[in-house]
Amino acid sequence: MTAPGNVVTPMKPEEILRLIAAARDTAICIPTMTTAPAWRDLAPDDLSVSCAGFMGGASSLGLGLALANPRRRVIVFDGDGSLLMQLGSLATIAGARPRNLTHLLFKNGVYHTSGAQNIPGGFDVDFVLMARGAGYRNAYAIHEIGELKRRLPTMLGEEGPVLVELHTGLSEKTPMTAGGGRPFADQVDALRRKLA
Amino acid sequence: MPESVPASLILDAYKEIFREARGGRPTEPLGWILSVPDTHQKSVLAALDKERALRTLTCATEDEANAIAAGLFIGGEPCIVMIQHAGLYASINTLRGVAIDGKVPIFYMIGLLQRERDKDPRESRHSMVRWCEPLLDTFSVPHARMEGPDDVHLIAKYFKLSRERRGPAAVLVGLETM
Repeated sequence: MTAPGNVVTPMKPEEILRLIAAARDTAICIPTMTTAPAWRDLAPDDLSVSCAGFMGGASSLGLGLALANPRRRVIVFDGDGSLLMQLGSLATIAGARPRNLTHLLFKNGVYHTSGAQNIPGGFDVDFVLMARGAGYRNAYAIHEIGELKRRLPTMLGEEGPVLVELHTGLSEKTPMTAGGGRPFADQVDALRRKLA
Repeated sequence: MPESVPASLILDAYKEIFREARGGRPTEPLGWILSVPDTHQKSVLAALDKERALRTLTCATEDEANAIAAGLFIGGEPCIVMIQHAGLYASINTLRGVAIDGKVPIFYMIGLLQRERDKDPRESRHSMVRWCEPLLDTFSVPHARMEGPDDVHLIAKYFKLSRERRGPAAVLVGLETM
């Protein structure tokens, strides 16, 4: 918790991803948009697939993977602008009740890739409330890195679906500055082989 | 003249497809149905409600259904996406991104709601009926029309085609199922 009057420095997405990379064990990870370049650097050849080419689909892609792999944790690295494009997925995920799905929402309040225009509603949009209202088993926000470090072990093991709203600044790279990485089709094939 | 197809025939086709896709291995569920409810196929959806071998997941949008289908495919789970023509229009960018560019085999059952019994869909007075097949042609999505019980075999044929070509394929449901 932060004392009244204290200004909280937004978490760096890259630092969050480093912590997750160290803690995720054999979890499948699904980055999208601005988390994708940094995740490629951190985990270049592992159990990951980027949601690329259909913005907004990370949460649903994660749901499909979670249902197909019920014994393995699935972690979605969603964005606030991305989730708004398929907001109904909160209800679809809640309805499917995947116990192994952790839905991390990197909330920076803007469409970073296209030039940092505010998302509708800006930083005030409360995704925790929405996830709870949709029926997620748990949903909460984390504002600073120390709190994330404390809660991470529990977060990656708790019964899902759980949404964690991570209050972040802007990432160093975007898909536009870093390039798109491997085509989605190649990533699909690679992960499919690893899971077979 | 086209005829309505009984839901039981369609469900039998689904089960047979999934059994074959799994190489005969007994599994629970046998396969997944991703549905954005369609009035045209409501008798099939009602039958699925009572069906234990298949698991139906109702999605809020067709975009979601496409992305969920990709996740299931990566995890080795077979699925069928049941939507309406209006949903095809709504989700064409995700179909492009996931099934075409992403080379994820997705098989669609698409209801032609309001299709007139005595008209070819391309001559329908309803734009959503009239433009469905041309839209699929534009995106080079192979498709066939199920115009009666004798056409139920098309479901397996186009499901297999989607897998063989690693992309989308569709069967259009000509008249409301019964």
